Order: sequence, then structure tokens, then C-alpha cells
Amino acid sequence: MAANPATESSLDLSWLDLYEDAASAEPGKKGLTLKEINLGRYADSARGAGDMTYRMRGAIPRPGAQRFGPNYQSKADVWSENCLMLYEEATQRQWSSARDIPWDTLEPLPDELERAMCQLATMLTEVEFIAGDVPGQWMPFVSAQDFEAGLFLMTQIMDEARHTDVFRKRALANGGGLLAQGAGLGLRTLIEARDFTEMSVLMHVQAEGFVQSMFRMGELIGQTEADKRIFRMSAQDESRHLAFGVMHLKYVLDTEPERREEIHHYLDKAEGDAAGGGSGDVTFPPVFEALCILLGGGVDKFDEGLQKFLLLRKRQINEYVHRLTVAGLGDRRERLGPLMAQFLDPA
Amino acid sequence: MSTGEALARAAQATQVEIPQEARDRARELGWEDGLIELALAKGHSLQVIWQALRAGVDGQRAKEFLQGGQTAIPRDLSWMEVPTEWGIRARPKDPAMGLTIADLMIGTYGDVPDVWTNRSEIARGSYPNPIVEDMGYTIFEKALVWADCCVPLYEEAIRDRWVSATDLNWNSLEPLPHDLERAVCQFMTEQSERAYFTGALWSGWLPEISYGFLELKLFLSTIIYDLARHSEAFRKRALSNGGGLGLQAPTDYSRVAKEARSFPELAAILFVQDSMLYTLFSHGDEFAQNELERDLYRFVARDRKRMMDYHIERMKHMLFKLPDRRDEQNLYLNKAESRMGKDWADPAVSEPLAILLGGGVANIEEGKRKLRDLRKLQVDSYLADLQKATFIRKHINGRLEQAIQA
Repeated sequence: MAANPATESSLDLSWLDLYEDAASAEPGKKGLTLKEINLGRYADSARGAGDMTYRMRGAIPRPGAQRFGPNYQSKADVWSENCLMLYEEATQRQWSSARDIPWDTLEPLPDELERAMCQLATMLTEVEFIAGDVPGQWMPFVSAQDFEAGLFLMTQIMDEARHTDVFRKRALANGGGLLAQGAGLGLRTLIEARDFTEMSVLMHVQAEGFVQSMFRMGELIGQTEADKRIFRMSAQDESRHLAFGVMHLKYVLDTEPERREEIHHYLDKAEGDAAGGGSGDVTFPPVFEALCILLGGGVDKFDEGLQKFLLLRKRQINEYVHRLTVAGLGDRRERLGPLMAQFLDPA
Repeated sequence: MSTGEALARAAQATQVEIPQEARDRARELGWEDGLIELALAKGHSLQVIWQALRAGVDGQRAKEFLQGGQTAIPRDLSWMEVPTEWGIRARPKDPAMGLTIADLMIGTYGDVPDVWTNRSEIARGSYPNPIVEDMGYTIFEKALVWADCCVPLYEEAIRDRWVSATDLNWNSLEPLPHDLERAVCQFMTEQSERAYFTGALWSGWLPEISYGFLELKLFLSTIIYDLARHSEAFRKRALSNGGGLGLQAPTDYSRVAKEARSFPELAAILFVQDSMLYTLFSHGDEFAQNELERDLYRFVARDRKRMMDYHIERMKHMLFKLPDRRDEQNLYLNKAESRMGKDWADPAVSEPLAILLGGGVANIEEGKRKLRDLRKLQVDSYLADLQKATFIRKHINGRLEQAIQA
């Protein structure tokens, strides 16, 4: 009879046979993604109660594990049904501001256009800086029971770093420099949030939504191929952040409909605090003027630019309300303040 | 404008709700009562009026403007002339790397101050607004966080990115003997949790660091992103070859990192783990059971090398700038080593590695011997890393010492 090696060597091996089911995820068309490993007792649908540790969903609880302080115990607090797909998309679509922007296509611009572009870049590098801090602030509260949401937020932190750096690069790459600090951009509301859903609806849905609508007009705002590409690449990232936020809000409203009025309160505050501009407010005078110059094509075409700026605001507000409607908060349209409501198309 | 048009607009103006913020702002600027309504009646949109109010157009100027029948909004454009450094044309020094953030460190834009005083989110080098809200940053001292290497490491991290879903050959996996598969899975369970936790931990410190140290924050963002990928890649491996997630990781070491009250304490504590894990994954070939795991460990080690480069240089820089804080580091390192020793002594940590190093439970004695060698190497490398940071650790914690001998 063979000796029991475990006994012979005083091995414990209590960890070896804690489970009987075998997980054998197989790669799909896009490789082995989070979707493929979202199976059996490891799936988000099998999520159990949280325990204030960082135990990954599906791992066997350790007797005597210490707590790490409060984190969200309910899935609805942080979850978004698309976060698995968005995480994998984010890893596939990382880009480099150093090498993926055709910096060599930059050409000297008329001074007023270069200054306008640099002012816009100054504002955007500031906005994107906060957009990295905000998810960072919430990461310690995202339970590992909902780790996919946490992983997604970590990709967002990376995306925002890249955006912060690419707009700084743009300001310093074409004979210009940074200009006036933004102020009253409504960014404090993002960092002031005391709840994940509050943060998400203000940052992902409102602020990033407004920025996204602007980036999508990058073909009109950008003066060079490099500028336009910066806006295109950044918009691609913003789409993911926005999609996370919309689907998170939808999940909350579907599963905890009693939170509807609470969420309206957050939006009331954010829309009002930024004096109707919302978070990432483009009505801040230097940004407003810079946009009018860029959209018009010069100071002497400021009024043409102003008309396009008003179109931008119209687009921002209508897309914002549409996204809220998709998430199930269509009644927001009735509560928009006058500075936003003036742009709203009829339902 | 015809009379009819004017009447239509006036009627429309009465229907526009004027926000209280606009009325308050108008009062501050000395606008007469009814001037906003007049502007609306003259066909100016609420948005345009709001822009005039935000731009600080005073009551007299607004009145003259409206009486003059002008349709264009007054503009300020003073932002065009703010006294920042102008005429910057950053160019790539290394065409292969492209336009890096190192290339932006020119003129005043490259000045990273010893103490950053602005409490807002102002971009370093832009012209400050004199009245801004405090954004709540707590770290303003360069010596606590900075390492020059964070500038090139940021771009290297982006260049070296990898994707677990497609850069690892998942189809190459073949069934392993039960004890080996379970050992792999237990190791992956522990490492997945440690990576997730550490990513969350670093993330929570980001909002503490002020804009003066932008490049450092950018680099920390790559660390966080790396840790996200490590966490999911380890999980994927655990769930793809007939195993599963095992016992949750021990909590002693992670708790002490979570308990850090300052950035230097956090960094000192993570120095211990990150050095040990870098050495571990650098020797991943010794316990990998297949090509996929070898590739995975190589990717992880490459990422972790950047983390260690930062740790070493940050500590060196801090000790040079703040020599009175040298002895204090022993307190943090001692705590971290103690908890790491406890974690290492845990059977769910040590046994899977011994089984993998030995090639199975049947060869456990060989595995244990190899693990002792590996643990000793990890500690020696850690002490060497500290030395590179100009820190001589005379005695490591006794609990860690015991864990090496076990």
C-alpha cells in the first residue's frame, strides 16, 4: 500500500478539494472573455451575499477572513448588465496618444484658431483629470462579488489618463500652450457624490454624455487631421463609459424603482449647480468663445460659430434626455431647468 | 424687424421661463429689471443672454448693446491673452515611441514643483482662476509621491499592453493531473484577489494626489489597469481547465495595506508585496505547467517590473529629500513583512506553490525545497531592491524569516 504523501509530509491540503464541479470555459470568437467564464456558480447571476472582504465571486469563503471596511452589498448598487462586454472591448481598443495620433500632420494655424484649440484642450485636460479621480474614489467600495464592474472602472481610469494626456499634448504640440483654467465647470458635483449611482448618473450619463456629444462634432471643431482623430478616438472611449452609466441607471430603475425620485434629486442639483450647463459645462465663457471660434472658423466668423454652438448645445441636451429615456428616466424631460429645456425637441 | 415679428417675439419671450440663477446674476451685474425680457423680445435666445451674464457684461453695457440694436453677443476673449508660456512645439525625441509625455516636459510645463499649492484641478501650466473651490486633494508634496521614472514608464506601459482574451493561447490548455490543476487554481484564486484588491486600493488614492504631479497620476493609472488585467487573467485560467476558484486569499497582508494612513506608508507596504511578486512571476517558468501559464507569468512580470522601478525610485527620492523619515520606513516594512510571513505560512498559499514546483503531491519534498529556495530568493531580491532605494534593512521581521525556513 502506497504511503499517503500528504500524511508523510505533514501537508494540510484542506484547500485542495473544497469543490467538486469542474469549470472548463472555452474561448469564443473573441478569445476567452469574461462572458465565457461567467458560468455556473461563478456567474453574476449566482452572486451571493457580499462579506466586506475582497473575496472574488465564486471563491470559497475563508474562515476568519478580516473585513476591509464597508463596500456595496447589493448588486444593483454598482452593476451594469453590459460591463463584461465593455471591459473586454476596452482592453481590445486601448490606443496610444503617442503613436496613434498623426502628430506629424499638425500645421501652424492662424493664431486665433490655435489659441481657441489650446483653450479647449486646456479645459478638456482638466475635465478628464477629474474623470479619472472619480471612479478611483469609488473603486474601494465595489465588492469583488461584482468585480466586472470594478474591472470596467479600472479601464475607465486608464482611458481618462490617456484623455488627460492627449489634450495636454495637443495644447503643447503646435506652437501654443495651455491657457485659462476652467472654473465653474460643474466638476465638483462629480467628486461630491456620496453614492455610486449618484456618481454614475452625473459622470457617466451627464458629464461624459455632454463631452461625447461634443467629441462627435469633432469633425467641425478640429482644425487638423490630428485634432479630428483625437476627438474620434476619445469618443470611442467615452461611448463605453456612457454605455456603462446608462445601463447601470437602467438596472437600478428596473430593480429598485423606489430610487427614481432620489436620482432626480441628484440631477436637479447637478443641472442647477453648473448654472444649467451640467457637469463639464461648455458654457464657461472661455470655452464657449473658443468653441464659437473653432466652429465658425475664426473670430470674424464668431456669429456663425455661435449658431453651431447652439446646435451643439441642442444636440447635447437632446442626446442627454434620450439616454435618460433609454435608461427609464424619460420623465426627466419634464424637470429640466429652462437653460436646458430651451433646446429640447418636442417628445 | 417688422412690428408683427416684434410682437410675436415679445409674446414668445413672456413664455420663456427665466432661471433664478440668471436673475441673480443680472442683479449682481447691475442689469435693470426687465432687461432680460427685453433681450428675449429682441430675439436673443436665453442661451445667448446667459452667455453674456456669465461673461460679466454689466447692466450699462447690456443696455447700450440692446438699444443699439446689435444682434451679436458681446465677446470677451481675454483668455487669449493670459500670461502662460506660449509658442510650445513639442516634438517626439524618439520617433518609435511617438509624442510622449516626456516630450512635453519643456519650459515651465516641465517644472514639477516641490510643493504644489493650488487646491483645484487646474492643469499644471495653465492660468489660474483666482476664485475656485477646493477639490479636496491632500497630497501636495513632491517628495512623498514622485519618481522621475514615472514619465517614461507611463508610455512604456501603454506600449507594452496585452490582452488576456487574445494574447494567451487558451486553446493550448490540456488537462492536468488533479493535484496540479487544483494547485494552479488555488494559486490563481489568491493572485486574482490580490490583484483586484491592490487595483482598488491604488484607485482610492488617486483623488488624494494634486495636479502638480500629473505624470505620476497617469502612471498610477497604468498600474491600476495592469492589475485589472492580472485579476481577470488569473480568474480566466482558474476557470478554463477543469478546475475552479479555491479558497479565498489570506487577508493579513492586504489588511495592513488597507490600513495605511499616508501615501508613503502605503507605498512602503506595497513595496514589500510588489518586490516579492515581481521575483515570483519572474521565476514563473519554474512553476508554470504549460505554455499559457509561462506566457501569462511573463506578461505579469513585465508589468510588475514597472511597478518596482517606480517603488525603488520613489523611495530613493523621498529618503534623499526627507532624510528624517528614513527610520520611520522600518515601521511600515516591519508590519508588511510580518503579515506577509503570516500569509506565506498559510497552507493555501505555500502548498499549491510547493506542489507546482515539485510537479505534484508525490514530489512534495522536492517542491518544498524549491519553494524554500524561491522564498529566499524573493527576500534577497527584496532586500536588494531596498538597497537600490538607498535603504538598508538590517533585520527582516522574524515571522517572515520563519516563513522562509518552513
